[in-house]
Amino acid sequence: MIVAERKRIPELVEILRDSKKILVLGCGTCVTVCLAGGEREVSIISSALRIASKVESLDFEIEELTIERQCDNVFIEEAADAIKRNDIILSLGCGAGVQAIAERYIEKPVYAGLNTAFIGILEERGLWTEKCAACGACVLHKYGGICPVTRCAKHMLNGPCGGSREERCEVRPDRPCAWQLIYHRLKNIGQLDRLKKIEPPKNWEPSLSGGCRVIVREDHRI
Amino acid sequence: MKDTPLKLCLFYCSNSLDANALRQSFSEIGTDELTTVSLPCSGKMDLLYMLKAFEKGADCVMLVTCEQGDCKFLEGNLRARKRSESVDAILEEIGLGKGRMRVIQNKNEGGIHQIIEEIESLRKSIRNQR
Repeated sequence: MIVAERKRIPELVEILRDSKKILVLGCGTCVTVCLAGGEREVSIISSALRIASKVESLDFEIEELTIERQCDNVFIEEAADAIKRNDIILSLGCGAGVQAIAERYIEKPVYAGLNTAFIGILEERGLWTEKCAACGACVLHKYGGICPVTRCAKHMLNGPCGGSREERCEVRPDRPCAWQLIYHRLKNIGQLDRLKKIEPPKNWEPSLSGGCRVIVREDHRI
Repeated sequence: MKDTPLKLCLFYCSNSLDANALRQSFSEIGTDELTTVSLPCSGKMDLLYMLKAFEKGADCVMLVTCEQGDCKFLEGNLRARKRSESVDAILEEIGLGKGRMRVIQNKNEGGIHQIIEEIESLRKSIRNQR
């Protein structure tokens, strides 16, 4: 899922300073699961903004709404009336959600209330970790399902680097060494031989460095 | 401004506090306004409850929990403390400063007297900020 975290209140106040009628719009999908932009977080951020508005005499009028998915026109439609009633939209969706709303309502300013961080999973209660860099050319099958592009701080395809200490990454000692994980995993599934092969330089063309990516499925475009 | 009565909001775990006795003792020490809210366990405490209390005009919010290790639901008081710290951090972000949110552990030997002392100390610190 897409993992995000809320912007700090002073930054939000600066973004909204000249606004009066504000719709705080949540998203019921990824950002709900990562406790950043769901119905509950919409209420918390709205409440904090109302208090900040009193403290700084800003006169915010805040309406709250959460739709099922901000990155889908079918669901965005459900927010049409609320969007009409307000001057601006503070979206608590991911970056895709914010842009989908902005494209749909060209006359309304739409601001991001979250910082979209990464594609990851809930590792344990209150801890999310990055698992996928969306590089566009997946190599997971070669590394026992553990991504060296994302989880190795040096993105090494022919690791390990030799700098790990007690199975911990030397760049981020709070994280396990990805190559240690790859070794254990390949050993467990009987594929250690894979490590004897030298992996050629990765093709980065399908990644973001080639510009904004598009996928076309002609069979669905009639 | 310093003499205006404070609005205090006190959430409490109903397993650890006799709110009637607390209100009785509180009425003897001043004219500030005290609202009490009962919870089945302090672990029911939510960020939103605390923020809503501030939004409605509370000068400070207190949460009475059982002593550490005494929670009937094992870790309700630990969760409540973490959530209170979160609210304190949000209030600081907003510009209200730290210290308007206080967790009070109801120690068996101290009882109501100890809680009233904690409320007094919080009242003084809020009055000094005015």
